[in-house]
Amino acid sequence: MTPVDLQELTAMALEEIARADSLERLDEVRLRYLGRRDGLVTLAGQRLRKLAPEERAAFGQEFNRASGQLRSAMEARQRQLAAGEEEQREDGEWVDMSHPFRGPGQGHSHPVAGLIREIEDIFAFLGYQSVAGPELEDDQHNFQLLNMPPEHPARDSHDTFYLSPPAGGWLYRTHTSPVQMRAMLASPPPLRIIVPGKVARRDNPDPTHTPVFHQVEGLCVDRGVTLGDLKGTLEYAIRALFGRERRVRLRASFFPYTEPSLEADVACAVCQGAGCRTCLQKGWIEILGSGMVHPEVLRNGGVDPESYSGFAFGMGPDRIAVLRYGLSDLRDLYENDLRLLECF
Amino acid sequence: MRVSHEWLSEMVDLEGVEPARAAELLTLSGTEVEKVTAYGVGLDQVVVGEVFGLRRVEGSDHLFLAHVAIPGQEPREVICGADNLFVGALVPWARPGTRLPIGVEIGRKRLRGIWSEGMLCAPDELGLGSEHDGVLILSPDDAEAGMPLDRVYPADHLYELEVLSNRADCLSHWGVARELSALLSRALRNPDVSRPARSGSGPMVRVTVDSSADCPVYLAEVLTGLGNTPAPAFVRRRLAAIGQRSLGGIVDVANYVMFEVGQPLHTFDLSRLPASEKELEVGVRRGRQGESIPCLDGVRRDLDPETLVITVGDAPQAVAGLIGGEASAVGADTSQVLLEAANFNWARLRSTSRRLRLRTEASSRFERQLSPHLARAGADRFIHLAVRHLGATLGPGAAGGVPLTPASAIRCDPGRISSILGMELSSEAVASPLRRLQFEVQEDGAEMLVTPSPYRTDVTTAVDLAEEVGRIIGYQEVPGTLPPIRQAPPLEALAEPVAHLASTTCRAAGFSEALSLSLVSGEREGLAPRLIGDLAHLELANPLSAQLGSLRQGLLQGLLQSAHHNQARGQDRVRLFEQGAVFWGRGQERPEEPWMVALLDLADDSTEDGVSRLRHLMALIASLSNVGGGGAVEFRPVTWPALHRARAAEVWAGAELRGIVGEVAQPVADAFDVRGRLEVAELRLDGWLKPGGRPGHAAPLPRTPALVLDLSVAVPSRALLGPALRAVSALGLPWLEQVTPIDEYLGDQLGPGLKGWTLRLRLRHPERTLTTAEGDAARQAVLRVLELEVGAKAR
Ligand SMILES: [Zn+2]
Repeated sequence: MTPVDLQELTAMALEEIARADSLERLDEVRLRYLGRRDGLVTLAGQRLRKLAPEERAAFGQEFNRASGQLRSAMEARQRQLAAGEEEQREDGEWVDMSHPFRGPGQGHSHPVAGLIREIEDIFAFLGYQSVAGPELEDDQHNFQLLNMPPEHPARDSHDTFYLSPPAGGWLYRTHTSPVQMRAMLASPPPLRIIVPGKVARRDNPDPTHTPVFHQVEGLCVDRGVTLGDLKGTLEYAIRALFGRERRVRLRASFFPYTEPSLEADVACAVCQGAGCRTCLQKGWIEILGSGMVHPEVLRNGGVDPESYSGFAFGMGPDRIAVLRYGLSDLRDLYENDLRLLECF
Repeated sequence: MRVSHEWLSEMVDLEGVEPARAAELLTLSGTEVEKVTAYGVGLDQVVVGEVFGLRRVEGSDHLFLAHVAIPGQEPREVICGADNLFVGALVPWARPGTRLPIGVEIGRKRLRGIWSEGMLCAPDELGLGSEHDGVLILSPDDAEAGMPLDRVYPADHLYELEVLSNRADCLSHWGVARELSALLSRALRNPDVSRPARSGSGPMVRVTVDSSADCPVYLAEVLTGLGNTPAPAFVRRRLAAIGQRSLGGIVDVANYVMFEVGQPLHTFDLSRLPASEKELEVGVRRGRQGESIPCLDGVRRDLDPETLVITVGDAPQAVAGLIGGEASAVGADTSQVLLEAANFNWARLRSTSRRLRLRTEASSRFERQLSPHLARAGADRFIHLAVRHLGATLGPGAAGGVPLTPASAIRCDPGRISSILGMELSSEAVASPLRRLQFEVQEDGAEMLVTPSPYRTDVTTAVDLAEEVGRIIGYQEVPGTLPPIRQAPPLEALAEPVAHLASTTCRAAGFSEALSLSLVSGEREGLAPRLIGDLAHLELANPLSAQLGSLRQGLLQGLLQSAHHNQARGQDRVRLFEQGAVFWGRGQERPEEPWMVALLDLADDSTEDGVSRLRHLMALIASLSNVGGGGAVEFRPVTWPALHRARAAEVWAGAELRGIVGEVAQPVADAFDVRGRLEVAELRLDGWLKPGGRPGHAAPLPRTPALVLDLSVAVPSRALLGPALRAVSALGLPWLEQVTPIDEYLGDQLGPGLKGWTLRLRLRHPERTLTTAEGDAARQAVLRVLELEVGAKAR
């Protein structure tokens, strides 16, 4: 065999490598040419020993080059074929990845509960602790300690559910404000609390009333708390809830347990303040009542009004949810219709 | 309350102040204006015409042909559908070419072959209220033919006010004018209350008030010489504008004074009172048991010692502050009256008003703590108007009654007001708004002595003054700030509330959040499965309906109703949870309010056996406990009312029962009209889960390999796995790290009444590798326990 034969042999092998269309075939080709015992190229190499020393060097060089070339061609082809087979296997495992898959999935928040958590989070950022209080109260905490003695005209808007005997001494709280009193009596100032919870008033259910609804009460008592602080706090919270562009206004009002008292309105989102059905032509929607805690109420809570002042506010997440999500009937909030819940 | 812009402008200069601007100022300062409507605007083109002739239009049963004229012109024919016309009537006539305030242009119209020259207008067509009962008939006292109608009805705007419950002083034009005067910084013009001289005709009045707490002021005057004179035109027009009907001169003027000054008045027909020529004994006392009085509205009302009455010669003549008696009512023939301007205890009036189920313009003012100082202004204004416009003469006067204590001064530090409001205000900046509100302000060194207007009963302390200053300056002027945090909030504030943890966990498991009213039907509550035994039901004393008559004792009734609601709307899978307080009665003691969560999983699928959903629910309970730091939970099978008898378990954490899980019994599902299997759970969270949850316990990672062995046994088919596993761990086998059930075989190869369990035991020695022999010993030990506990056999 001469280097020329070796070249021919190599060319044949390369061609067969290229033609091998599976790893199995390729292995046959490898055995035929490079098989350790009787591969054609292996056999050709064994002839090296029989050559004259002057030929040996040149042939050896040629042999090494040829077998190297074959090995790398073999490896390359093997990689190629292996990849192809993996592709085929994967092709066989085809999945429609465009399928709009809906898994068992996440459950949904109730709009009011979600809003309450959002309000708690906003105030947590301002250092307020979320606390709860009893939903059944006595007249003392619900009214009297909050400057509403029996026959007080402000009780008119607090149409109250009373319990039957033997629990006749209890009522369903009409607002979350009694928790203010309980918080003040429980721990000395400074106090920053937020109190979400259910309240009840004896209103027949209609699109704007449910006999049970939610309130979120806030209270801040410390040295030197001002009405400006109340305003800044409310503006921050309202913008956080309604968007930074929403106009807010504070208006004088009256609550027996605050002095001065204010209500906060946001511009009506439907008419942008021009007046429409949603806002009863007012252009503004009332969302919150607030004020500086009345000195008498502080005193009732065991806080010295000469050293401390505070503000309190209360908002209705049910109403806010209806406004924010464009719903039309408060009663829908208590049907728990999944078609509504799934929006949240 | 309705207030007229034109009327207000008599008491405060409103030149150049648009009604919308006035409305905004009032609203921001606390007197909310709900609506502003134009009243009689643009009536200059409508003319007053006189009806000269009137006949029916032939062939019509409701149309009339009127001949209407203005001086110097021939009468014209106008067709009209109203039946209140008469010859000589003065009527608003919109001639062809007139544009009415409601936007309609009037033309010549041909009706039944007759050309109608414009139209005769009803009040609503002129923008004068909503009345449409007939053509507006004008009084010859107010109008004459040929006059443009705007001379009778000057352009006006009406404000619909929502007055705050502590601001009785704003329930009048004068009161609102005082507000606008302060807000606009324009002078206040008080109503004319100049009194004529006394004539001496009529009896002298002697007033006896039993209790000045019931009646702090009672002013009485006799007026004589009144004829059947109508109230002057401006009185009738203004009353009409605010929606008050004209009821004759005396009553109209009394009403006018109430709406103008704010003081309710009552007039008694003197001739119908038991009085002598010389003297009249008026008393204010409590009613007596058995007394009654026929009232102005034709209803006889019983009196009692809680009711305040006005008497003449000890005979009840009126329920004080509420309603007059029929016997002494003023009528068309009244020529002399006893005028009452008084003030009554607000709380007493409120309870009387509630007891009699009667509320009047007068009582609604007294109830709100009207100032007793208004009585004098009210009486004087009535006397002024009656003498001037009704021809009255003032009688000799009254004796008795009690003197009023003047309003007392409030000492205040302007610096304190600044610090309440959070604004830097000079003394002058504090004093100015107060002075504009007719408060007297005297400097006293660094402090001020402020005497509020006598008509304000709501201003008594320094913080009240701060509110006055703030609202008159306007809260838009207060800079918004945040209170500094000088002391760290309590560490508890850092913890995530249990309600958040529970909600997040349930939602992550695919359950959606529900909220129900806490009021339920007591009857259905008994049906719903619940965690508690026989605690008393709490019922409302004054429920809206039986459906909402009880307080919920558990959360499942609400969820079952929601399940029905959703299923009825086509949902075939309903997964809901709710958390909240429930209410358990404790006799007279404070009711208990446990914080609960309930979960419900409903599938409307008859081929599905519910087991995997029930297992999923139980797994969720375990993870709730895990995230809330509630420890390992254990399920103990029970039979429970309203639950499937073979699919119910108590949920225990440590030594405490925390809830119930199971499948709702079919009859209960039927009672709530729900199809399909309902898997439910109800758990009490308070006292179990902790705010913020608790990080799980972590042990150092082991350094030696575990020996893992599987043990397959045959057990009776009703064998319980929970107690079996508990027995294995109670064994306290050394190095046994974990026992996990990995398979349950329910086929019949094991023989009748048997099933198979495969448990995987994991053993580990802390320092060395365990030997096979040690593993076998452990396996034998476990097998023995299982044999004892559930009769297991190796297989
Ligand atoms: Zn609007």
